[in-house]
Amino acid sequence: MLEKLFYDVFKLSGDKLRTAVVGFGKMGVLHAGILNLLPKVQFVAVCEKSALIRRFVEKLFNDVSVVDDVCKLPDFDLDAVYVTTPISSHFAVVKSIYDLKVASNVFVEKPLASNYGEARELCDLALRLGGVNMVGYMRRFSVTFRKAGDLLNQKVIGEPVSFSAYAFSSDFFGISENSKVCTPKIGVMRDLGCHAIDLALWFFGDFKVNNAEIDSLFRGDSEDSASFEVETQSGVCGKFDVSWCVDKYRMPEVGFTVEGSKGVMRVNDDELELRLNDGERFRWFRHDLKDSVGFWLGAPEYYREDECFVKSLIDGKDVEPNFFSSVKVDLVIDEVKAKAKRK
Amino acid sequence: MTIRERALLIGDNPFHGISHLSQERSRIRGDTPTSPEYAAKLISIAAENGANGFMFSVSDTTLSILDILRKNGNNDGLRLYAIVPYAYEYVRLAGALGGVPGLAKKLVREIVFSGNFRAMVSGLNGVVRSDLASLFKTYLLYEVSRVRRSAGGKAELESVLLHQLITDLCLGLSLDWVFKFYTEFLLKRGITPGFNTGNFALLVKKLKEWDINLKDVVIAAPFNKVGFQMVPSKEECEKALAGLPKPNVLAISILAAGYLTPKEAVNYIAVLPNIKGVAVGVSKEKHANETFQLLKEKLLHEVG
Repeated sequence: MLEKLFYDVFKLSGDKLRTAVVGFGKMGVLHAGILNLLPKVQFVAVCEKSALIRRFVEKLFNDVSVVDDVCKLPDFDLDAVYVTTPISSHFAVVKSIYDLKVASNVFVEKPLASNYGEARELCDLALRLGGVNMVGYMRRFSVTFRKAGDLLNQKVIGEPVSFSAYAFSSDFFGISENSKVCTPKIGVMRDLGCHAIDLALWFFGDFKVNNAEIDSLFRGDSEDSASFEVETQSGVCGKFDVSWCVDKYRMPEVGFTVEGSKGVMRVNDDELELRLNDGERFRWFRHDLKDSVGFWLGAPEYYREDECFVKSLIDGKDVEPNFFSSVKVDLVIDEVKAKAKRK
Repeated sequence: MTIRERALLIGDNPFHGISHLSQERSRIRGDTPTSPEYAAKLISIAAENGANGFMFSVSDTTLSILDILRKNGNNDGLRLYAIVPYAYEYVRLAGALGGVPGLAKKLVREIVFSGNFRAMVSGLNGVVRSDLASLFKTYLLYEVSRVRRSAGGKAELESVLLHQLITDLCLGLSLDWVFKFYTEFLLKRGITPGFNTGNFALLVKKLKEWDINLKDVVIAAPFNKVGFQMVPSKEECEKALAGLPKPNVLAISILAAGYLTPKEAVNYIAVLPNIKGVAVGVSKEKHANETFQLLKEKLLHEVG
């Protein structure tokens, strides 16, 4: 035990943290691109199931190893693993990483798992095996939502009374019912709505779902839009609207309107607006909120997120959002599904 | 640099309904001229007022705009700066078509139906040998042929720029061979290789390290008075700009996505060294007229 502890400390005090990415789709590539530039990180391996992608990735890099199965990763003496596989496989992949002792520090793209039961089990494993863990709810690293969180904590709009939240994209807008395109089976709640739920839990604390509706636009069992109402432990009422079929949302967007005893706050990915009852008005865009980062890929949030994870590894400290806070998102989604009337 | 070399480009972001200030603002104002006919009209108005080129991501929308300009005879001498691939559309399509394999199938179908024989041969070679360079070449040949077909002979394809997402991804992954291959491939075809980046200072540093001649390329990167999207900082970007061997930077986001007035924006750009030109999106006839008159007055005037 002492020997292992010494080894872990020794490893982390060495030159660079050895990292691997499991699942080399768009999010895997994005995180790899950022990790490769972080000064204290060495990106050493890719694990990818698709033979086609593996073939090309092998040719892409000179000094990165490519494997087809998580069970081959223990050979790489890894400090941390990024899991960016499809959501339905998060549970199996993360469990294997822990079971096979691939690495004790794990980052999983959002959401943690495809249901609450699986997410809970991953939390138990993480608790038992230790290490730093994180879930990729990158909007917590957005300058607008961070500022909104600070203002809510400072009670600038007084005590929150109610809020409404949305998570919209145009990814499947205008696609006809007979189209060959089908929406991902995982559904809009875990793909997009989870961001709004995570932020709401961060802003207002735990809540229960009162009623919900889910709509299928393309086939009977698809989950393409959802609306539901919640109530927090302190009595704040909230309403959520989630859809990936809304026009004019070229980029996915999450936003909140929060009514407080002293005013109203509106915030989304791009801007934050305050209207106080005394007549004062404030507005901030990303420009006003020091949105610069060391390296810009996709959005500044991704860099901050990865930097935060790596820093917490080096410092040996817990990080947010971790498995234990993110499991609540999976719980809320399961509650919405259980209570939902299907249109 | 001569006036002829200075590029005053119309940017295409408004034609795709993009506002980097706020997506919501763009929706509420409802002023995104996504109709290709209206966009072509705006380009013609801008050209009458000083614009001499068009910078665009290659997509069905922008190719339709080029078709209209050609048919109306408004493409004479128009300098084209094409950005490939239209990454956000491909990312969206990958999501809708079941990931990278679904997207690859769609692209292969399009290339086959385009009838571009050279692209097809190169593509086949790439697939059989899993050769990324051949596939990259196939894709570039396909995009260049699409642009040339729509634009016609009177417009001049000056540069093909690698989209910001791809440039920065390759930069992050230190894929120096991509930059070298891309540069050599386009130079051989008489097209100036370009890179659209959100990490200007790092790109310049890496291109120097990788022995890519900075005189051979153009770089499109954000430059504005408030330092919006200037990574890692306004100061670092200005320093890298000053160290270039010649004016080969196309300043984008000069209005900081509508945060600055055109006058504020131009006053900042006009005194920067090594700026080859600017790209500015316009969404109304009045903007096309006034903005490019101002750019012409301030930027062409400064050229020595």
